[in-house]
Amino acid sequence: MAEGPIVSFRGVSKTYPNGTVALTDATFDIRRGSIHAICGENGAGKSTLMKILFGLESPSAGQVLIDGAAVDTATPDFAGKHGIGMVHQHFSLVPILTVTENIILGHEPRRAIFIDRNKAHRQVVELTQRFDLAVDPDARTDTLSVAAQQKVEILKALSRDTRLLILDEPTAVLSPPEIEELFNRLRDLCAAGMTILFISHKLHEVRALAETVTVLRAGKVVGTTPLAEVDDTTITRMVMGRDVDVPRRQRQRTDAPVVLELDNVSTRARDPADRIEDISLSIRADEIVGIAGVDGSGQRGLVGVLSGLMRPASGSIRLDGTDMTRAGTPGWREAGLAYLPADRHARGGTAALSLADNAIAGTDGDKALQWGPFLRRGAIRRRVQQMIADYAVRAGGTGERLDSLSGGNAQKLIAARELAGSPKLLIADQPTRGVDVAAAALLHGRIDLAARDGAAVLLITADLDELLRLADRVLVLFNGKIVADLANHPGLTPAALGPYMLGLETAA
Amino acid sequence: MTRAILAGLTEFALTALVIGLVILAVLVPLALSQPDPLEVLRLFVLGPFGTIRHMGNILEAATPTMMTGLAATIIFRAGMFNLGVEGSFFLGGLAAAATAVLLPLTGLIATPAAILIGALVGSLACIVPGYLRVRFGASEMVNSLVLNFAFLFAGVYFLNYVLRDPNAGALMSYKLPGDFTLDRLLQGTRLHTGVIIAFVACLLGGIWLYGTRSGLNVRIVGWSPGFASHLGLASSKLLMQAQIAGGLIAGMAGAIEVLGLYSRFSWTGLPGHGWTGITVAILARENPFLVIPAALFLAYLQVGGDMLARNLDVPSEIVGLVTAAIMLAVTAAAIFRHPAFLRLIRDIKGKEAGEEQGA
Repeated sequence: MAEGPIVSFRGVSKTYPNGTVALTDATFDIRRGSIHAICGENGAGKSTLMKILFGLESPSAGQVLIDGAAVDTATPDFAGKHGIGMVHQHFSLVPILTVTENIILGHEPRRAIFIDRNKAHRQVVELTQRFDLAVDPDARTDTLSVAAQQKVEILKALSRDTRLLILDEPTAVLSPPEIEELFNRLRDLCAAGMTILFISHKLHEVRALAETVTVLRAGKVVGTTPLAEVDDTTITRMVMGRDVDVPRRQRQRTDAPVVLELDNVSTRARDPADRIEDISLSIRADEIVGIAGVDGSGQRGLVGVLSGLMRPASGSIRLDGTDMTRAGTPGWREAGLAYLPADRHARGGTAALSLADNAIAGTDGDKALQWGPFLRRGAIRRRVQQMIADYAVRAGGTGERLDSLSGGNAQKLIAARELAGSPKLLIADQPTRGVDVAAAALLHGRIDLAARDGAAVLLITADLDELLRLADRVLVLFNGKIVADLANHPGLTPAALGPYMLGLETAA
Repeated sequence: MTRAILAGLTEFALTALVIGLVILAVLVPLALSQPDPLEVLRLFVLGPFGTIRHMGNILEAATPTMMTGLAATIIFRAGMFNLGVEGSFFLGGLAAAATAVLLPLTGLIATPAAILIGALVGSLACIVPGYLRVRFGASEMVNSLVLNFAFLFAGVYFLNYVLRDPNAGALMSYKLPGDFTLDRLLQGTRLHTGVIIAFVACLLGGIWLYGTRSGLNVRIVGWSPGFASHLGLASSKLLMQAQIAGGLIAGMAGAIEVLGLYSRFSWTGLPGHGWTGITVAILARENPFLVIPAALFLAYLQVGGDMLARNLDVPSEIVGLVTAAIMLAVTAAAIFRHPAFLRLIRDIKGKEAGEEQGA
């Protein structure tokens, strides 16, 4: 077998047809037989890089070298031919098929036109033994635990003379003992000569497993370095970027009454994004509390218990002195919740309904808009025209469908609806994700204004600039716990938040 | 607003064009096999408008399907593929006949009472699958489909052992008393006052769906359950209300059909107006106002086909063929707008998007 790196990226760039630049001039090597980690924030370009290596995308510029020879990755069955297997973060197993059927899917052993089931069974048993990954070959996939399903994914990826195994965020769905088990298996595989590419944004896992790390930020390779030669601070700085100062929000009152209080709130959920543990926090009127944290650290659980979508397993929640622990969504909205949902396409409005219908949804019983059960179309049109003007929504008319608006304008309309009638609590979940700059500025202004009008604001955002610009106080979530509670002073930088977000430090 | 109207007109013109082409594609080969091809086309296309009587036949045929179309529209709008409309129609007819035969009602209240009981009993066929879905998440499509036949056979059993007139030559009920009939409107046809009820029901349905708060909430629940849950709407309640309303209307349609057309109840199979109603609802893009023209259009095809069958050597099945071809063309477009279907696509897309964002 040839020496030298198994894979080399040489100036690989990727620009999508819509103009999104996902990767710029990525150059680094992956050493044969090593465990190589790729680190970076959401949207740093990790996925695109892996898609190129797995043959799902072709680079716009640059070359991929395998065993030192340039290859065209975008050819059919590229990955199979070169022995590259990939375990996706979201499993691609067919739930109603058995383990064996899932593993052989796509390259079934055949006898004439039939699947040779005996041979398939033998192959899978042999595979589980060779790699010491015990799963019942005849179990239906949907009866397995998540960890076992992942084993099936790994077996599937290994089933075709694989030399290079890519794992995309493999620990996101696993519990700590399962993670330990997975890491042991991966070390065994590596010892047996397999090259493993491990994508993660959890630094301690990277350190526990990998020998070398490549850090990506905003589509560029920041550096490739053996982990033994760098400390966590350096890597964090590489991941988060240089310190750029942003203008902060000027808070009017710091002694306003507490509006929202959570005491030791926990949820029970399998999905880590829904899991929070022992969260205590309070937000005053005219206070914006920003939540920082890697995606899936419990943000969804926190928003869930504060909007009535989930019930806490323990702890209590009070809004303006009223106990809201067991309140459902109608109760929360009645009590003055405004909520800009992160998934605004599915939860923020109805694409096929008119702007007017979307803008007045949920105002049941508003006498100005309703006469008995009937909607006052004239009053509604005037109200919605006013909202459209106030929020500078660019729209043809109140009768147009919501999906005729651009993302930014749709979000402005949603904000206009949610912020109507001074809310007590505003949850802004990724309020400006995918929104143009002008709309983002307007939305920031409105969130600030809502706070000044006396709302307690919970801001959840992956955009750390936005977080530092708006928040008075920053809480960092990691594994469902608040690991840091920091006042947002001008010295606070994204890089300073990094160690907390990656689970290296706590300051609660 | 004008853009929306223009887009609507374009869509309508396209639909009309497709329907025209499909009719020609089926009819032309058939016409060519006849001695006078142009007569076939003329009779089919213009025949139904030839006399007042034939136009009355169109209205008569459209009466039940307008109402079942409205029922299906309301049910589909809430995002359910509940096909219980057919069973409701059958049960409604049976219950109205049973009321007439078994209860000693006379005078002005007789007919309304029979229609009301028909509606109430008929609604069961929509309520049961709807409830099973809301309560247990069971597929309403499968359940309603299967239950339609369960209700049919239970109904036939009831007809055979309770309502059957032993002196009649076949399996049919006793004669319905004269107080339990709807007035005829047009000499020479069986057109009855039920057609007025059907028109009014569709108009009221449209006003409810687009002009009231609960109509708006049902549209939200049907199109985007996620948004409904964000707003804290009582989704299960709204879903059930739509199933109940749809079931009541379909049951009422069955009752009106039996009281308006027949002197005895004799259905021993599903009459099929519920299925047609589902077709009407899809053709009308689930808009109660458009249910009226959609039902009239299908009735017009029906009458045209009947005329071909009566006057020329053309099998009346040809109408079924034409309707099937039209439905294929129209539903192909409509199904891609259906909320349940769109949601499926969105879920798949969402998963892919999630994978893209994952790393």
